[in-house]
Amino acid sequence: MNFNDLKINFIRFILSILIIFFLLLSFGINPLDVTNALFIGSFGSFEKIIRTILVWVPISMASIALIYTFSSGMWNIGIEGQIIMGAIGATIIARSFLGDTFISPYIQLFMALAFGGFWGLICAILKVKGGVHEIFSGLGLDFVASGIAIYLIIGPWKRKGIASTSGTEIFHENSWIPTVGNLDFPIFLLIVIILVYVFTFYLLSHTSFGLRLKATGINFFATNKFNFSSERYIIFSFIIAGALAGIAGFSQVSGSYHKLVPTISGGFGFLSILLVLICSRNIFLTFIISFLFAALIVGGSQLQIKLDLDHSLVGIIQASFVLSWLILQRVNLEKKILNIFSKVFTK
Amino acid sequence: MKIELKNISKSFGSLKANKEISISISGGIHALLGENGAGKSTLVKIISGQLNPDKGSILISDKKINLGSPKIAINNGIGMLNQNPLDFANLSVLESFLVGNTQNSFMSNNHKTKEEILHLFDNYNIEIDLNEKISSFSIGQRQQIELLRLLYNGVKIIILDEPTSAFSLEQKKMIFDTLKKLTKEDITIIFVSHKLDEVFEICDSGTVLKSGRVVYSMHKPFDSDSIFAKMFDDTRTKNKITNKEKRSDKFKLFIDELDKTKQETFSNESLIDFGTVVGIAGLQGSMNDKLVNNFFSRDFSKTGIFFDNGDYIDKEKLYYMPADRLERGLFEDLTLKEHFALSYSNRSKYLNWNDIEIYGEKKIQEYDIKATITQKVDQLSGGNQQRLMLSLLPESPGVLLLEQPTRGLDFNSANKMWDIILHRKKNDIAIIFSSTDLEEIWDYSDIIISVSGNTIVNIESKQNLNKENLARYVSGILD
Repeated sequence: MNFNDLKINFIRFILSILIIFFLLLSFGINPLDVTNALFIGSFGSFEKIIRTILVWVPISMASIALIYTFSSGMWNIGIEGQIIMGAIGATIIARSFLGDTFISPYIQLFMALAFGGFWGLICAILKVKGGVHEIFSGLGLDFVASGIAIYLIIGPWKRKGIASTSGTEIFHENSWIPTVGNLDFPIFLLIVIILVYVFTFYLLSHTSFGLRLKATGINFFATNKFNFSSERYIIFSFIIAGALAGIAGFSQVSGSYHKLVPTISGGFGFLSILLVLICSRNIFLTFIISFLFAALIVGGSQLQIKLDLDHSLVGIIQASFVLSWLILQRVNLEKKILNIFSKVFTK
Repeated sequence: MKIELKNISKSFGSLKANKEISISISGGIHALLGENGAGKSTLVKIISGQLNPDKGSILISDKKINLGSPKIAINNGIGMLNQNPLDFANLSVLESFLVGNTQNSFMSNNHKTKEEILHLFDNYNIEIDLNEKISSFSIGQRQQIELLRLLYNGVKIIILDEPTSAFSLEQKKMIFDTLKKLTKEDITIIFVSHKLDEVFEICDSGTVLKSGRVVYSMHKPFDSDSIFAKMFDDTRTKNKITNKEKRSDKFKLFIDELDKTKQETFSNESLIDFGTVVGIAGLQGSMNDKLVNNFFSRDFSKTGIFFDNGDYIDKEKLYYMPADRLERGLFEDLTLKEHFALSYSNRSKYLNWNDIEIYGEKKIQEYDIKATITQKVDQLSGGNQQRLMLSLLPESPGVLLLEQPTRGLDFNSANKMWDIILHRKKNDIAIIFSSTDLEEIWDYSDIIISVSGNTIVNIESKQNLNKENLARYVSGILD
């Protein structure tokens, strides 16, 4: 991303926020109050920052996952299912004999990678070998994964004496994702996500693998001329995306909830699709915008307490942000503003 | 229908594609001539509303029209037939007519419309099943369908962007007759071409573009010498085939259907010298391109290329170049640099962008590609795209499989292409190419495979063949 893109994205960001402000005003809500409440709700204290990070990690992870599949030209609607399967994979370890050992979280991570990756692979195989469109198989697999999770929760993994959808037994503390300090700062998750960011950036911009992935997404039929097969790269992209989504599930189950619940994905998969639409495969932007979305979600709880506003306002803000962004992208107003600025400054 | 262009200018970054172009056409067939990259495509895109010019205006019947919207252009009666078919490949012929229909309302009478369309096709002697999907037709047929669709929608100004490169001789004659008939009905035709014989045959007036400028305006009768002088810098000389030095290595071609045809001189066991150029001649829509593709896909039940000891030539040694550049050959949203990186990437998993840039710049020079390394390939002219594809093939000796390597290229670009191909030939195992241009086949091939429709009619060394017979073979008259 060059400096000019950065400026354009920045102006677009400000404009999107302004549009949301106007929207809030039209609801009769003071946008500054909302901003204040959201800010305090997400960054007001160290605990709140930690909660924001715990939401940011899975959203971020799912968004990066989608960057891979978008690169190869695939709509990975199955991301929700991949998150759920990752969570199930992690839960299997947490509930096994390894559950009370200190290596549990690390093995959970690998199980989550494997389960999520496998769920992605199914989608890819159906696409490549069966000619099933990835949107349909993805959606179907989402339902299947969700069904498996519910079955496990009210069936084999039900709590003693009760069969409810409120989740499994809380994991043994050794199965929780390692943290530091008495406020449980999720250091391990942070290391993982930063590594994933760095790795992805390097892979997509500095290796032939990344370039081939991108080429596959642009022209499926031209790749054999360059001695590689589109099908293989589609499969790769789904495996990687599924595996990363699996980590998001792991983060949810062993970092946030410490148990498996039916809504373990938290809708973060679908949210990430919106997010990646905005960021159009730009990793830096993904980093920032996903953080913003996480802050919105966490801060949203304050809206109710402080301003007596419904939590669903957060959804409205998110959706309007995405919509404004996409429209602005199309209208290209930022370039004009930038031109005016440069004229003023040169004078 | 009168159309006037006034001071049209358009730039892409630093590239000035059109500079202050003014043309006035009062009717008839107007030729737009120029080498590849002269700015013809940009200009017709502006006229048809696909591009918005930086400057300038267009007047139709002395009325200024809005620019930059295909819809407005269509409403003003401007229709365009693109170089590459721009249609709905997944719709049936009938559906594609209905979809673009401007006259019929929502509740169109399917039956009546169908009759009308059938009548139209009848008028132009085209036999086509209207329920057949567009994607199942050849490029030539698709272009014809498109042209008829435009007529059906009542256009008044038709732009033909190098249309005949995809037409067979017969189809071409038919289209030309149609075009002449149309001018009598006050329809203006802008005919973009670089085939001068065609221009002389049907055009009434013309404009020559060069480097984005109008350099010459002309009216019938045309003076071919001055047009040449304006269009090309250098004189019209064809590359001479360099005397081939005998190479001792041999290969064999296996073609399943060959044994079914009566072959006297050639069989699947015939040994062919390394460095031989095999031309596959056929009219547009015949299987000549498919045959090239078959060699690449290595479906051994149908075709194969192998060494004289019987070993198949490795897949890595087959270098394939498809006819439709942007559909199957290149990645339109990638830059030249990224393309070079893809072809370079077989050497290393890690991309060293500095090395790739040096490598790419070298290739750009060597293959005379007029573009900067950071440009996206869809901004390149046809000739440059074609040379880029050639430059992306591995350097090590192999079998070049080229589908219509000079399709849509002007004389100079085609010549340049063959210069490069013939230069490679010294080291390569073989060059197998298809073409609908019999002159090209005759000029460059050592062995000629003649194809008519879906059958291989003949395979012969050039010295045992004469041009007339070749023409007969491909048109299916002699077998």
